[in-house]
Amino acid sequence: MNIKNYPLNGSYDELIDAEHRPRPAATKLFEFLSGFSPAEMNERRAAVDAAIMTMGITFTIYSDGSNIDRAWPFDIIPRVMAAQEWRRVDAGLRQRLKALNLFINDIYNEQKIVKDGVFPLEVLAGSKNFRAQCKGITPRFGVWAHICGTDLVRDQDGTIYVLEDNLRVPSGVSYMLENRMLMKRLFPELFEQCEILPVDDYTTRLHETLAALSPDSGERPVIAVLTPGIYNSAYFEHSYLAQQLGAVLVEGPDLVVGADDSVYMKTIDGLRRIDVIYRRIDDDFLDPEAFRPDSALGVRGLMRAWRRGKVAIANAPGAGVADDKVVYTFVPKMIKYYLGEEAILPNVPSYLCMHDKERDYVLANLDKLVVKPANESGGYGMLIGPRATQQERDNFRKQICADPRNYMAQPTLNLSTAPTLFDSGLAPRHLDLRPFVLQSEKMYVTTGGLTRVAMREGSLVVNSSQGGGSKDTWIVEERR
Amino acid sequence: MLSRVAENLYWMTRYMERAENTARLINATSQVLLDLPRGASFGWDVLIKVAGLDELFREHYASYDESSIMKFLICDERNPGSILSCIHYARENSRTLREILPRTAWERINALYLFVNGRASHAVDRARRYNILEEIIERRQAVIGLLADCMSHDVAYQFIRIGRFLERADMTTRIVDINAAVLVPRQQVPEDPAMALLWMGVLKSLNAYQMYRRHASVHVRSGDVVNYLLKDPEFPRTVRYCLDELEACVSELPHNGPPLKLLRIAQRRIAGMHVDDLTPAQRHEYLDAVQADLARVHAAIAGEYFNYYEPDKDQRQSAVSGQASL
Repeated sequence: MNIKNYPLNGSYDELIDAEHRPRPAATKLFEFLSGFSPAEMNERRAAVDAAIMTMGITFTIYSDGSNIDRAWPFDIIPRVMAAQEWRRVDAGLRQRLKALNLFINDIYNEQKIVKDGVFPLEVLAGSKNFRAQCKGITPRFGVWAHICGTDLVRDQDGTIYVLEDNLRVPSGVSYMLENRMLMKRLFPELFEQCEILPVDDYTTRLHETLAALSPDSGERPVIAVLTPGIYNSAYFEHSYLAQQLGAVLVEGPDLVVGADDSVYMKTIDGLRRIDVIYRRIDDDFLDPEAFRPDSALGVRGLMRAWRRGKVAIANAPGAGVADDKVVYTFVPKMIKYYLGEEAILPNVPSYLCMHDKERDYVLANLDKLVVKPANESGGYGMLIGPRATQQERDNFRKQICADPRNYMAQPTLNLSTAPTLFDSGLAPRHLDLRPFVLQSEKMYVTTGGLTRVAMREGSLVVNSSQGGGSKDTWIVEERR
Repeated sequence: MLSRVAENLYWMTRYMERAENTARLINATSQVLLDLPRGASFGWDVLIKVAGLDELFREHYASYDESSIMKFLICDERNPGSILSCIHYARENSRTLREILPRTAWERINALYLFVNGRASHAVDRARRYNILEEIIERRQAVIGLLADCMSHDVAYQFIRIGRFLERADMTTRIVDINAAVLVPRQQVPEDPAMALLWMGVLKSLNAYQMYRRHASVHVRSGDVVNYLLKDPEFPRTVRYCLDELEACVSELPHNGPPLKLLRIAQRRIAGMHVDDLTPAQRHEYLDAVQADLARVHAAIAGEYFNYYEPDKDQRQSAVSGQASL
């Protein structure tokens, strides 16, 4: 594999610098790859694709009313990052999540941040993810978002920005773990040569994080992963995590809330109490008694059980209040307010359409900006101005004016790229990075995270639901 | 163990067992047909009748020709009992069990599905059929072996065995019943050489020919064969053997009174059957009664373990569609 002819496209490339030299952290990787012909590389790629099919590493997409189980698209060229740079990111994520959890707890209790004029009440009033049912509650350790997936992107000048914080039911961590396993199967030689920091302790840490939440200290807590079921796009991950955690994988109908307000699962030998629920369904569907009455996925009375402290739920109901693209813009201020620190990781500069001046700017520059609704995820419902048609931009103009609180805009970042293997050889593709942060009694950040790649040339959309793929992410200790 | 998980384990193995038995039946029948004299009315349609799928078949096909019947039994997804459907359901069930089963078990079941999905339609062609069906059987056997060797023999494992032996017992009664649908030309001559061929085919479909000759008789006579396949305590595909295994599995489970009681009724019926005194029609009735016994055992197991807390069964949503078809 030769990188002399690698077609750099003007973006920051994670692995190859402007002079077509490997960046220091990727030197060993390219030394190794230079020994491979393109045909040999494609052979290994085919081996990986076959392994993915047999292992059934899939995600499900909805198409024409039926479900298609799609093999997880995986690129065999890893994304490499120097450990030194990563340590700064790690510190930034810890700082950010600490502040976010303080914020959520404050919002559901005293609302000091509002009273002190740092966070406007009107934003809260318009928040779709604010749950009045959670007011007055302080979960254990004051933590609401126990598992967070924060999306990071790198712009042209090399700066790493936080794009968004997924505080509801972030997914992808199983793919991070499986990607690593695939790479070890595929290129065992590389792991001997490079000092790649391991990622495998995630599930152990997740177990610690969840077990610490158990209302019943002492005994080995019973942990359940609550899934919407087999037709959910992340079902593979739910079952994978349950297996790795030694937890029970349950669906709503498997659970009942007893007269004592404790949560029980229906087993072949009677009801068994559950202490901690790692839920992978949205607030709305969690409990038909408290939220959507038509939900068949949830458990009647679950909120009652949680409010009475009979069961721990991770992430806590209502944690999504901070998972809102408008609330996001206030995170640097939260860090300052709660921790008295400057944010280590910057936000992408953002314009809030609720402010007249900023909205005027957004409307005048729709062809340059990315516009996002406050509460969507998975890359749905956003406008990428420079690539949109005039009609799409006009539609968004109307939507923004009708509901300004619900929209924010950011400059179109020129996302960084990394070499990705195609039949024709290596080509740059845009990517992002989703590290996962755990918090309960202790805090933990994954080493790296899930790198998602937009597989289509020039595309900036990395979501797997929109045809994105992924790479193994290496944090590499550089020896001097 | 979650009730839903127990139920999915049970159906997963029932579906795989059914697929394997269908593959065996088709392969054995293919052999027998080549040897039958002209004029014998035994035909492929017998397989459809044995499986109780006659009505469904006629809905979709105009004639009982070999290729239609093979298509229907092997790879037609409109037939919930086709090999492809069964393996598909088994895989969908096992998908909800990934945290229970050893990882390699899921991988093999998935690989089995990928194989069947890719190749089953080629098995309609007689020249390629044998090898493809044999490979399906082999791969399914590999899954059984893997589960036996790499999974704790815990309660979950008991449900796997219950699904297997219940389905197998049911299939064996249907296979034994196969000759109720056969008419040999001229008068009914029970020990007609053509009949002996059919019974040999029956034994072979259950991989029982060799063991039958060793333990029962060197002569293939209908009474002996039926006796052997229903009552032999040592061959693992006989009804008696399956019932004994079921009793052992159910004994490991809690509150097992009702299913145990029904199992004993089935065991007594088998023990009290005097095959030689029965006309083919009576034998058919008898086998129907055994099948009904097995259905009641199934209902008792479902009642005790799958729907223990939900007497109102209709409210329950199965994880996988198609489970209700028996």
